[in-house]
Amino acid sequence: MLYREAGQFKTTYAADQQIFPIRQDRIAVIALLAVAFVGVPLFASEYWFSAILIPFLIFALAALGLNVLTGYAGQLSLGSAAFMAVGAYAAYNFQLRIEGIPIMLSFILAGLTAAGVGVLFGLPSLRIKGFYLAVATLAAQFFIVWCLTKFPWLSNNSSSGVISTQKLIVFGYELDRPVEKYLLVLSIVVLMAFAAKNMVRSSTGRAWMAVRDMDVAASVIGIRLMPTKLLAFAVSSFYCGVAGAMYAFCYLGSVEPDGFSLDMSFKILFMIIIGGVGSIMGSFLGAAFILLLPIFLDIALPYCADLFGLPFSSATVSHIQILVFGGLIMFFLIVEPHGLARLWQIAKEKLRLWPFPH
Amino acid sequence: MSKKIGEVILDLQNISLRFGGVKALTDISFDVRRHEIRAIIGPNGAGKSSMLNVINGVYHPQEGKIFWHGNERKRMEPHMAARQNIARTFQNIALFKGMSVLDNIMTGRVTRMKANFIEHALWFGRARQEELAHRQKVEEVIDFLEIQHIRKTPVGRLPYGLQKRVELGRALAAEPSMLLLDEPMAGMNVEEKQDMCRFILDVNDQFGTTIVLIEHDMGVVMDISDRVVVLDYGKKIGDGVPDEVKNNEDVIRAYLGAGH
Repeated sequence: MLYREAGQFKTTYAADQQIFPIRQDRIAVIALLAVAFVGVPLFASEYWFSAILIPFLIFALAALGLNVLTGYAGQLSLGSAAFMAVGAYAAYNFQLRIEGIPIMLSFILAGLTAAGVGVLFGLPSLRIKGFYLAVATLAAQFFIVWCLTKFPWLSNNSSSGVISTQKLIVFGYELDRPVEKYLLVLSIVVLMAFAAKNMVRSSTGRAWMAVRDMDVAASVIGIRLMPTKLLAFAVSSFYCGVAGAMYAFCYLGSVEPDGFSLDMSFKILFMIIIGGVGSIMGSFLGAAFILLLPIFLDIALPYCADLFGLPFSSATVSHIQILVFGGLIMFFLIVEPHGLARLWQIAKEKLRLWPFPH
Repeated sequence: MSKKIGEVILDLQNISLRFGGVKALTDISFDVRRHEIRAIIGPNGAGKSSMLNVINGVYHPQEGKIFWHGNERKRMEPHMAARQNIARTFQNIALFKGMSVLDNIMTGRVTRMKANFIEHALWFGRARQEELAHRQKVEEVIDFLEIQHIRKTPVGRLPYGLQKRVELGRALAAEPSMLLLDEPMAGMNVEEKQDMCRFILDVNDQFGTTIVLIEHDMGVVMDISDRVVVLDYGKKIGDGVPDEVKNNEDVIRAYLGAGH
């Protein structure tokens, strides 16, 4: 009853091709944006902004970047964290070395730098596929982290490559409170998510998916494989680069190369696997699942232990947290291998029919 | 026959194709005229699909010349064949499984779309206009093939016969001047075959598309094609109008075995 498109007649192709064709979706998105931009800043605490919401948004953006590459264009990559590192260090260096450069411009340039590096490491994709390509992108992961440690110029000669980011000044106004940083990150992520959605629903995205699903047929239709794959690497790395710049500037404030480890790349990969490969919303759901669930368990487990009067030490609780977390990942993958986004889609399809079975 | 068959638009001369030591095609020559339905038949492994792959640039023959509209064609990549208005379907359905019927057919128009990814990201101006204009064209194809009811369905969920039809739609969306069909009726029941024959004849008739067709169903081939090439073990053993081919000694031997 609530979610149904009955009575919404589309009389033009423009109406059928809008970004959210179903009215309820439009209302939901507007409501969500209103809550995120207005509601959350009014009520959330500082801890929520700096420890939960900002990292969630940043990782969602990185996952979105990886999803463009892996989910839409079908090129498996294990180098996301490295491209984030490129973004972080590039933004730092643009701020450091170019007098008076606006922070937004250095974020964009950081993204473009990451895109360039991404294209370079995307070149092997023209010859190799699947797991072999993943191994090739692993080279990016190790090489970039090594470079950032090895060449002191990149970190302005600081010891072991640690950089402390400059002040965050946007349009002459210094953002130092968590809520301000949150609003900046949120704006960037929302804009880039809409851009990604537009790309994947247009000719660009269809070319990516065509290459993913059947590359021979794609080329016979007239899609040139090389530019299509490299564009996917460029766009994906741009997203990861901007995410990396925000990771340094808006979240941690000081980062080191080893922070952008293979672990982090895997984390981003898990986000899209759990969230939904080839889904914009899946990137957000996956990031929420991977980042928020441990925090939730941290809070919920001691409470449960108290409830049942079990004598758990905090060490035991943290072990149980890992156990439950792993168990839940397996549970979700078995129940729905296509990720949370698919569960959501199935729920929507059911809702369209509810309360009638057919 | 009432329809007008035009000049030679594709001329293949002495094509030989080898994979290492395996000879897939040996010294094959034939031509295709504008507006005709040209069938390629032959037993399994005769080199029919290889022939199509040579025509649209997936394989590069070691010997021989290909003339397209009178000009000798240089070595080319498949995506260039699409830009020369050659479209094809595949023996094993090569649809994009994760995409809807509409998106699959929209993909067929990729060579005609000019907007770049930044315009797409902003969904502004040319990108938006193009999506709408091409949607119009795609809807015409959907109407033609009578698949309106499944336009939003992911192709992976469709039955085999409909998938074949969608694949034909994707090729038609490119508005090709030549259409290569690799066993469009394989694995279909009689009714589906009849539908497919109707579509092929309509495409040929209404759009004036030249069709090169591989098919095993002899009834269909003899009924709808204007001229037939017969291949066996990579060699051409017959070429002509259906009646001529039907009575060709070599062809009968290849199909029925010696001694008949």
